[in-house]
Amino acid sequence: MKTRLNLRVLRTLGCFVTILTLSCVSAWAQFVKVPPAAVPQSNGKPNLAAPAPKLPNGTPDLSGIWEPPTPPKYLRNLAADMKPEDVPYQPWAKALVDARADGSHAGEESDANCLPQGVPKIGAAPAPWKIVQTPGVIVILHEAFNLWRQVFLDGRQFAEDLNPSWLGYSIGKWDGDTLVVDSRGFNGKTWLDQAGKPSTEALHVTERYRRKNFGTLEIQITIDDPKAYTKPWTVTEEFRLAPNIELLEFICNENNRDLIHLPGGSTK
Amino acid sequence: MRHALRIVRFGVFLIALPVLGHHSFSAQYDSTKVVTLTGKVTKVEWTNPHIYFFIDVTDAKTGKVTNWGLEMGGPNALMRLGWTRNSIKADDLITVEGTLARDGSNLANARSVIMTSTGKKMFAGSSEGTNP
Repeated sequence: MKTRLNLRVLRTLGCFVTILTLSCVSAWAQFVKVPPAAVPQSNGKPNLAAPAPKLPNGTPDLSGIWEPPTPPKYLRNLAADMKPEDVPYQPWAKALVDARADGSHAGEESDANCLPQGVPKIGAAPAPWKIVQTPGVIVILHEAFNLWRQVFLDGRQFAEDLNPSWLGYSIGKWDGDTLVVDSRGFNGKTWLDQAGKPSTEALHVTERYRRKNFGTLEIQITIDDPKAYTKPWTVTEEFRLAPNIELLEFICNENNRDLIHLPGGSTK
Repeated sequence: MRHALRIVRFGVFLIALPVLGHHSFSAQYDSTKVVTLTGKVTKVEWTNPHIYFFIDVTDAKTGKVTNWGLEMGGPNALMRLGWTRNSIKADDLITVEGTLARDGSNLANARSVIMTSTGKKMFAGSSEGTNP
């Protein structure tokens, strides 16, 4: 196991060195070349419908780079697959979503200000993200705004008074072939989608990750935020494997010219 | 200006809304207002979260020059579509099809860019439904 981990670390380091080297060559005009990923083949073609891979110990292997669907319907509306009346808003939350519906508050959204999207919106935003899987912790690297999440699998429990944060604190466990991730400790400053569904510090997100086949990752997401919603509600998103790309740097605040053109946006 | 700036209003707009990752597209741009602009590139900002470039558009009638800002997808999305930071350079002549900003400023979200010198058409990393 140790040798395998060492090999993985070396391979990862090798990739970084390769990318660094390529990026230092002034003549390179094309996008970084990515070696072909080990994708199952069928009749000489990639077969993304092949069975989901497993680690030698039988644990599902979720690692890889994943992309949300295009267009990103769950970014625009997390409840895209639900009837609008089935979202169990608290009255104040419904009033807020109605007020945000015409886009007049779009400049107040955290991501429009280059602040983190929150969970689960960060996964639905149209940028790839990468799962790095180890036995004790799963790391999710989000290209969007260069953000990351850690999902601890070592049996720890939540602290009693979690510090409020944009992406929360996550612990996970395996339920058969499904990774169940509980996240709490959110700051309540993020919208759940661009439609403006609010969240509060009481938000508890449960994500159930299941790799349906080699190229498809399903995440069932339950929103439990009793201050904003009268009961928990659940949606299911699917993500596709992006075997031939690598994550790239994305510093949002480099040149955010959009805010002054967005209603409700700050010009400070 | 009327010749250089053609605004077409569609009751039903068939092209998918461009994908902007970090803010609401529909709050900033009106997808029913499509504009075609031709002019010389004055500046390119190959930066996150979105590429911006600027072109001088000359009114064929009056000769008045107006500088327009054009937003596209982010550098990463564009690179995955085959763009490089040198794909558009200052002084290039280009024609852009885009969507007008709602706030009335000289700003549009580019859907595609045609290089006048080669006729090559490139999609702008958003209307094709790729990355931010």
